[in-house]
Amino acid sequence: MKKVLQGNEAIAIGAIKAGMKFYAGYPITPASEIMHYLAKQKDIQFLQTEDEISAINMVIGSSLGGMKSMTATSGPGFSLMQEGLGFAHKIRVPIVVVDVQRVGPSTGMPTMTSQGDIMQSRYGSHGDYFPIVFYPNSVEEYFKYTIEAFNASEESRTPVILLSDAFLSRLYETVDIEKIDFKIKSRSFKPLGDEKRHFTGLLSEGGVARTRDYKLYRRWIENMKKEIGKVAENYNFFEYMENKDADTLLISFGITSRIISPLKEKYSIFRPIRLFPVLEEEIKEAAEKHEKIIVLEMNQGQYKKEIERILRMDVKLINPVGGRISLKEIRGELSGV
Amino acid sequence: MASNDYLRPGVTPIWCLGCGLHVVLNQLIKIFDDLKIEPIVLSGIGCTGRSAGYFNLDSVHGLHGRIIPLAEGVKRARKDKEVVVISGDGDLLGIGGNHLLHSSRRGVDITVIGVNNSVYALTGGQLSPTTKKGMITLTTPDGSDVEPIDVLKVLKSNKKYFYARTTPVHVEHLNKVIKQAIEWKGFAFVEVVTLCLETVAKKMGLNTPAKVYQWLRENYKIVENKDDLDEFDLGVVKSD
Repeated sequence: MKKVLQGNEAIAIGAIKAGMKFYAGYPITPASEIMHYLAKQKDIQFLQTEDEISAINMVIGSSLGGMKSMTATSGPGFSLMQEGLGFAHKIRVPIVVVDVQRVGPSTGMPTMTSQGDIMQSRYGSHGDYFPIVFYPNSVEEYFKYTIEAFNASEESRTPVILLSDAFLSRLYETVDIEKIDFKIKSRSFKPLGDEKRHFTGLLSEGGVARTRDYKLYRRWIENMKKEIGKVAENYNFFEYMENKDADTLLISFGITSRIISPLKEKYSIFRPIRLFPVLEEEIKEAAEKHEKIIVLEMNQGQYKKEIERILRMDVKLINPVGGRISLKEIRGELSGV
Repeated sequence: MASNDYLRPGVTPIWCLGCGLHVVLNQLIKIFDDLKIEPIVLSGIGCTGRSAGYFNLDSVHGLHGRIIPLAEGVKRARKDKEVVVISGDGDLLGIGGNHLLHSSRRGVDITVIGVNNSVYALTGGQLSPTTKKGMITLTTPDGSDVEPIDVLKVLKSNKKYFYARTTPVHVEHLNKVIKQAIEWKGFAFVEVVTLCLETVAKKMGLNTPAKVYQWLRENYKIVENKDDLDEFDLGVVKSD
């Protein structure tokens, strides 16, 4: 049956379908509807914590305890969660973290939309790590890719980041979620409590700290990179709309990709849904068929730098920032390219 | 499990010989054995923060200051298991103070053992929330000019609470109050007062572990049935 759903509600419903049993979070616009929805559910545990630092550490704990777990926030809260995200990578615990982006830095423009956390979702914590990041662009996709975020998280035993933005999270669309097919990945390791494992942020082997062993570190980091990369290959989500007559490829995601979809009449459009690890081969292949590449995103060119790195060339940026985006403005900028 | 089976094979505590932490570790093993439990043990960061890694049990060595919310998450998922946090004063009361406030208010059924050595010891001996007024540390070269935190008063802001204070020298008392804390239904906090041998005791003229133990024995007294504790009282204060 078709229903009118909000982006944030679709995330909450998707999480429940994926088998989430524990949610902890702190209120923040424009992510709060996720917790409002989950607070009313009787068959999951829900907790409003004292801050986002508590929320991320609590979902790490509940996930270790055997429950699929999620937290959701916006940019300022996502910043507070960064240390926890690094820790979750280090001890390899699956969790899903939703970041509904708003304009920053700091309190910024509450709560106008933005895509300013692209780099934060990839590089926000200290040290090296390799997060999987999804960024859908419709209410239906939020339902679907929340489930996939849980699956990728379980399969990789790492936190998976689900990006959204103020527009998409508060967008209402008609969806028939019963018609959407999905598979569920179940937990691959025993819950904390009955074994003799030691989960530590320290570089360790067999539960014993080996914090001066550079050879172990090099082995460990390469192994983690390889394992997560391999799992990510099972989640190569993107949309490529090729226009045979176009000499220009537009690369865009999230709300920006929604706004520019009418431009497919004139341009080719590549929309990565998995932002990280970057879909290098797929983007290169699409780019080869075009003379010009333009990245459209609501920030100062965060993903553009990734595209330039892959293609080893300068690419053009169109970036409607400050919380306002319109097709008319984008058309105007494109005509000047 | 036999007592020795509670120790993780292949690890040796990093602590100075004579540090009160050895006594706490030893007693916790005895307590788990006596109660016939295999709890989930968790620690934050610091000298005491290394404790979790020494138990041959499912254990977590978390982020600095964030072990209480992590333990609360574990407990909410594993309500059937005892959950014991062992961490230091800086970790639990400084950087993690906000979580202590709220997890204790929520009354989550975990036991928190806060070993109070009155400084940030692992980083060399800086001011901590429990540093006594006037004490010289690396970051208070002229002596601390603020009063230390009173954990009992913090916990007493809740209607229901369990607080115990003990020392590694009063071994039987320590054993007894930790058992009571584990058996308490709700949030229980045990403050184990000791002195960092290197960065605190030496400045007080107590240059051997024996002198520290003597000082603790002479200064702290066990009291019974009080609803408040004076600075050098050891005992249990609780409200159900």
